[in-house]
Amino acid sequence: MTKVYEGVIPAGHVYIRDSVMEKGNIFGAKVAKSAWAKDLNLPRKAEYIFFAGCGYQLMRYAGGMMGAIKAAEKMGMGMDKMIGVSKAFGKLGIDVAGMAGKFSAVGKEDPYTRYLTNAVSTLRKLGVDLGYLYEDEPCCGSPLYYSGFIDDYIENARRNYERFRSLEVKKIIGLIPACTGSLKNLYPKLVDGYDLEVKHFIEVVAERLRQQNIKPKLKEKTVATYHDPCQLSRYLCLVKEPREIMSRIEGLELREPEPMQRGEWSTCCGGGGGMEVCFPELSDRLAGKRIEELLATGANTIITSCPACEMQLLKGLQREKKTDIKVVDLAEIVDQAL
Amino acid sequence: MSKNDNNDLKELEKEILSGIQSCIKCRECLHMCPTYEGWATQGPYGRLMAINLHLKYGLGSEEELSNLLFACSTCRRCLERCKRLSSGTSVTDLIIKARQYLAKRAKARG
Repeated sequence: MTKVYEGVIPAGHVYIRDSVMEKGNIFGAKVAKSAWAKDLNLPRKAEYIFFAGCGYQLMRYAGGMMGAIKAAEKMGMGMDKMIGVSKAFGKLGIDVAGMAGKFSAVGKEDPYTRYLTNAVSTLRKLGVDLGYLYEDEPCCGSPLYYSGFIDDYIENARRNYERFRSLEVKKIIGLIPACTGSLKNLYPKLVDGYDLEVKHFIEVVAERLRQQNIKPKLKEKTVATYHDPCQLSRYLCLVKEPREIMSRIEGLELREPEPMQRGEWSTCCGGGGGMEVCFPELSDRLAGKRIEELLATGANTIITSCPACEMQLLKGLQREKKTDIKVVDLAEIVDQAL
Repeated sequence: MSKNDNNDLKELEKEILSGIQSCIKCRECLHMCPTYEGWATQGPYGRLMAINLHLKYGLGSEEELSNLLFACSTCRRCLERCKRLSSGTSVTDLIIKARQYLAKRAKARG
């Protein structure tokens, strides 16, 4: 199957396709995807279903994967000449599934998964009747669409819709911008009779804060800047909402980047469209540039709302050797303030 | 290659080519593109032209075109620029569609 794409689709993208289609997650990790939620007592049926997605849960494996890809390039193995990254992992003695075993304790050393808990806790505080599908939650398959595997994407989308229907899901709240965009904007075009109501976490939070006129308060005064993820600002068109939320939080001073570097015009973190798996050097450069733009505001905290952006910005900070700057998710800030 | 696959491909090719037709070649998108570092083919405009030339006249190999297309981060900054201040070409979507075209053709070839 993978051989037909040789020289046409980069090996990293084919690897992600095979992982989604065969293992139901983007990195092919053999890990229980619902482990983060085991202490939260979320019901399986509720008015709104929380869609956790792959990103936040599996982003910690991405670092290792990118490292392996770069190592392969330095060794002169030439990624595109290889049939698949999974085989490259074998050659380098790195086993993605084995790595998953090492990190079985979810939540402590992993900087991403806790944001899911933050999001759930925020929504509960705002009175949303929230449920979660646990291991029944499918992968939305959005990388398939952007990598060009449209037939597989449609097949996956139809299968997912059937599953949502059989589990009586009506309304979904997503946290990862790409997954939410996929469920909200792409599925209706490609799946017949698709009628799920999909909203992004930020949309719901902004709406509820406005309705209930809540002014959350942060304990420590924070000077922060906001990085607009492309999937959020230009695919889901959520530019005002995150700013509305942040302007409501007391003790948070928002310092925006230049007008042509924010909102609809925000520049790329280098993590979009899967470019980091085939052009890691270029992707690193973009991350560095974006960090420079954000730090020109003088803020010491970068708030954003996308797992891929967070990974890239952390990489950019390492590259620019700025270790005292924090990257946090908007979900965490709201949860702390509420 | 089955007849059905062939029709699908033809349909997609038509869609991409007619989409590219609406580009007025103002090249304003180049300055918007995060991956643009001096060569037109590192930006949206160049990518669209490369797709056009490849689909219409078979210029450039599949691998070369694929390298240009997959260097795009699909961040849509070019699309925003084109929508607001130029011809409203759905640049990013056309690049994604061209990736889909390449994958479809490779699969149909077997």
